Amino acid sequence: MLKQRTQAAFSYLYDNYAATLNGIIVGIIQDQEVSGDVLQEVFVKIWRQVENYDPVKGRLFTWMYNIARTTAIDTLRSRDWKNSKRNNSLTEEYTSLPDKAPNPGDELGLRKIIQGLREEYKVLVELSYFEGYTQEEISGMLNIPLGTVKTRIRAAILQLRQQVKL
Amino acid sequence: MDIQAYIQSGVIESYVLGIANEQEVAELQRLRLEHPAIATAVEQAEQWLLDTSSQLAVPVADKSKMQLLTTLQNDFKEPVSASNGSVSSEAPVRSMSRNMAWIAAASVVLFVSSAAVNLYLYNKYTKAANDYSDLLKERTTLLATNKAYENRLTALQNNMQLMTAPGMLKVSMPGVAGKEQSLATVYWDTHTKDVYLIANSLPAAPAGKQYQLWALVDGKPVDAGMLENCEGLCQLKNIQQAQAFAITLEKAGGSPVPDLTQLYVMGKVQS
Repeated sequence: MLKQRTQAAFSYLYDNYAATLNGIIVGIIQDQEVSGDVLQEVFVKIWRQVENYDPVKGRLFTWMYNIARTTAIDTLRSRDWKNSKRNNSLTEEYTSLPDKAPNPGDELGLRKIIQGLREEYKVLVELSYFEGYTQEEISGMLNIPLGTVKTRIRAAILQLRQQVKL
Repeated sequence: MDIQAYIQSGVIESYVLGIANEQEVAELQRLRLEHPAIATAVEQAEQWLLDTSSQLAVPVADKSKMQLLTTLQNDFKEPVSASNGSVSSEAPVRSMSRNMAWIAAASVVLFVSSAAVNLYLYNKYTKAANDYSDLLKERTTLLATNKAYENRLTALQNNMQLMTAPGMLKVSMPGVAGKEQSLATVYWDTHTKDVYLIANSLPAAPAGKQYQLWALVDGKPVDAGMLENCEGLCQLKNIQQAQAFAITLEKAGGSPVPDLTQLYVMGKVQS
C-alpha cells in the first residue's frame, strides 16, 4: 500500500505514527516547537525514501524510528542549534549530580526514563542514543576500552528494557 | 555458539535502537538468518521498541498534517488498482465526473424550476395585491354610500317622528292660479310653535332668487324664513300664531314685504 504512494496511504501512515515518532523526536530534542519542524522533515524523508524500505531487514516502524532518531540527532548537531542550546547541554551534565539537577522531572520521554539508570550507564546512553556517537567515538571521548563501552551499552539497554516492561 | 546468551546480551536491543556498532550489526544480520530463535528475538525487540515508543508518544499539532500534505502534494500518486492497471484507474474518475454531471444537471433543473416558480408566484402576488387594492377601494365606496343612505334614513326617520308628533298641525299649500303644479306643506308644532316645511314640488329658484315663507297673521304677512337648500323637512322660523302660510319667490336673502306677483303656493291653517 505504501509503495503506491497515494495520499490516502500517507494519511494512514501519518495518523498511525505521527504522535509516536514525535515522542521519539521530543525525547531527543527536548523542545516541542523544534520537534514539530523535525517531524515535518522526518515525514518528508520517510515518504520520499519509502521505496528504500526493505521488509526483510525489519519492521516498517523500526525503519521510520531510525529516520526519526537520526534526523533529530542531525538537527541537534547542526551548528545553530548547538550554539543556542549550549547552555542546556551543560546543565544536562549537571543532571548527573542528583542534588544539583536544575529541573529534575522536566525531561521528556525516554530521557526521563534513563534518569533511573546507573551513572556509568546513563552517560553511555546519553552519548550513543541521544547524541548519536558511535561506540568507537565514545571509547575515545571517555577513554574507556571499546569492549567495555559495548558491554556497558548492552547492559544499560537491558536494564532499560526491564524498566519499561509493558 | 550460545544462542540464549546472545539473545540475552542486550545486543539485539542495541541493534533495534540503532546504537549497535557496525561489527555488531553485521553479525546480527547474519545470525538472524541462521537462527530462527534470534530472528524471533529481533521481532520481539522491534515490538518492544514500538510499544515503548507508543507509550512515550507526544501529540502533534493539527496543522502539521496539512503542512505535510502541502509539502508533499507533488509526491502523491493517483490511486491505481493493482489488478486492472490504467483502465480501472480511470473508471472511478469517469464515474465521479458522471456523478458530478448529474449533480450539475440536477442543479440547473432545480434552479430553472425555482426561477419559474418564483416568477409564477410573483405574478400571482401582483394580481392578488391589485385585486386587494381594488376591493379596498370598492369597500370604501360602498361604505360611503351606505353612510349616505344611513344619514338619509336617519333624517327621514327624524322627519317622520316630527310629522307624527302629537300637536303637529299639517298645512297643505297647493299652487295658486297659474302655478297649479306647485305644492308645499308646512308642519307647525302647536306646542313649540316650530315651523317645518317640505317643498313637495317647487320649480328650481333662478339665480339670485330664493323662496320665502310667509305667515299671514291677522291679514298681514310675517316673514317665516328663507327656504335654504335643504332636503326633506326644513325647520324655519318660530311662528306664534297664523291663519295661513304662503311662499313667494323673492331676491336672495329675503324681502321685508312679499312680492305678491310672485306668489307660488298658499294654504290656510285648519283650526
